[in-house]
Amino acid sequence: MDRRGFFKTMLATPLLAPLLLASKTTQGDCELYLIADSPQLFISFLLEELQKYGIFTGRNFTLLNSHPQEKELRQILSQKGWTYMQSPAMADIAISFSCLRQNALPSFTLVRKGEIWDIRSKKLYSLWKEMNENRSPSSCLTIASLKDRRARFFYGESVSIFKDGRRIETASLKENQSKSFSARKGKITVVVKDRKVWVSESSCSHKICLYTPPVSFAGERIICAPNHFLLEVQGRHSIDTVIG
Amino acid sequence: MYVNRIGQHFTFSSLSAKTLCILILFFLFLIPGCRTGEKWHTSTFLFFDTVCEIKIFCSETASKSAEQEIKRVFSEIEGHFSPGIRDYASQPVLELFQRALNVYQNSSGCFDITVAPLSKAWGFFNGSLHVPPSNEIKALLKHIGMDKIKEENGSLVLLPGMELDWGGIAKGYGIDLASKSLIAMGIIKGFINAGGDLFCWGQNPDNQPWKIGVKHPRKRGFLCVLAVSGLGTATTGDYQRYFIEKGTRYHHVFNPSTGYPAKGKQSVTVIGPETLLCDALSTALFVSNKPEMIIEKYPEYGALLIDSNGRTSVIGKPYPFQPLK
Repeated sequence: MDRRGFFKTMLATPLLAPLLLASKTTQGDCELYLIADSPQLFISFLLEELQKYGIFTGRNFTLLNSHPQEKELRQILSQKGWTYMQSPAMADIAISFSCLRQNALPSFTLVRKGEIWDIRSKKLYSLWKEMNENRSPSSCLTIASLKDRRARFFYGESVSIFKDGRRIETASLKENQSKSFSARKGKITVVVKDRKVWVSESSCSHKICLYTPPVSFAGERIICAPNHFLLEVQGRHSIDTVIG
Repeated sequence: MYVNRIGQHFTFSSLSAKTLCILILFFLFLIPGCRTGEKWHTSTFLFFDTVCEIKIFCSETASKSAEQEIKRVFSEIEGHFSPGIRDYASQPVLELFQRALNVYQNSSGCFDITVAPLSKAWGFFNGSLHVPPSNEIKALLKHIGMDKIKEENGSLVLLPGMELDWGGIAKGYGIDLASKSLIAMGIIKGFINAGGDLFCWGQNPDNQPWKIGVKHPRKRGFLCVLAVSGLGTATTGDYQRYFIEKGTRYHHVFNPSTGYPAKGKQSVTVIGPETLLCDALSTALFVSNKPEMIIEKYPEYGALLIDSNGRTSVIGKPYPFQPLK
């Protein structure tokens, strides 16, 4: 069975639409479809290979519905270092099961943004061929929704300066400038250059603000506690707060 | 006919009034989740010698009460645990001492609140940062060790020369107390971030788990992002307070057994249900050569470690540390 035939077989699956919807709610970036009576024999190898493509990271998985091989899948994935998560929101892979209307030759394919994605690496191709030729037809469809959980950061557009918890100034990061502010312990000087911000001078005692590297991503901040001073890069935020 | 029309008219009006009443009752009583006038409130305060950031979802009135409550809790914590305060007998001090002693024992002394004489000798208390002579450090070691403290007649008894530094646990304790109060007040989502020690609960403004950026200990930008809810976090690093002398970096996290700054790591971030334990464990794991042996005693806690070569590892409970794209 070629890839097109495989996809046609899948489209005949009565539960496919709700399952795709379910995988969409977990914000999966792509779906791996696997037809096999014993998906546990192939899934960890397939996932390891797909990680090499950089499609997703992390090693947390969850099961969205009851799977006939649930026990075996959980066992093999745990053995290979994957961690089971109760919450789909915390999982990198959400696995679900569907029953095909008619038996089909064992196979697998990857669908990314609604299109079949060519994953014919040498190792995967030989596995695909081996499954197709040597295994008996199956109606068990396993869908693994893969989520890229890597965070994305954005360069900031401006910097807001707070003194005693109140915003006292906002400056664009596009204009190189340097400005001094009066502070509790004397003064503090902030420099904006090449879309980066840093503290160049501070009257505080421990100089943590002075040693902090320049900041440029939205959400990044520099704090000078003795001077009750905080600067924060503003822009398209991908984080809620910062620690460390 | 006319009467009939009037009658019909009245019937219609009274039906409208009834419908309206039912609708009002429905909105007032039948949808308990519908809260009016609630929005996100962000505020910053200065406590524990750092900037504390609070973000909560509640009404204007509740926000004011919450701010007052946080200030009350944090002021109380500062009153008992700030450097120089010699409170050895109050209930919060005795309670926190027991918690600290537990971590001290579980970490084979890697977390120790009696390191204050070392911080003083190295100049981290008054800003006169320098490397003390080795004989001075050696002499100070006899004043270090929580096992030397006794509790007699409801008070801690310290040996002469001993002093307590609550910096590695008190902030976390304060955050736990404050967040519990806010949750008890009915605030269903928010976070309290006191200079990097944080507790968050509920969901963020995008109805997702809170996304917490962890600063990179050496480079610009972030190391990773934590996507968490109902959890505390704390970070201990060699980059927060340090000085460089003759090309060597000396930071403020001391190994209680050597008297010198702990070696081998750039930063440790701990996640778990209690901020107090995250706070104490981040120091313990930073100091320890065998952090895995400590974290396995705390099954609900996980940690992200960056060693001195910049290599990252995750130990303990695998919380979602999102790498960067």
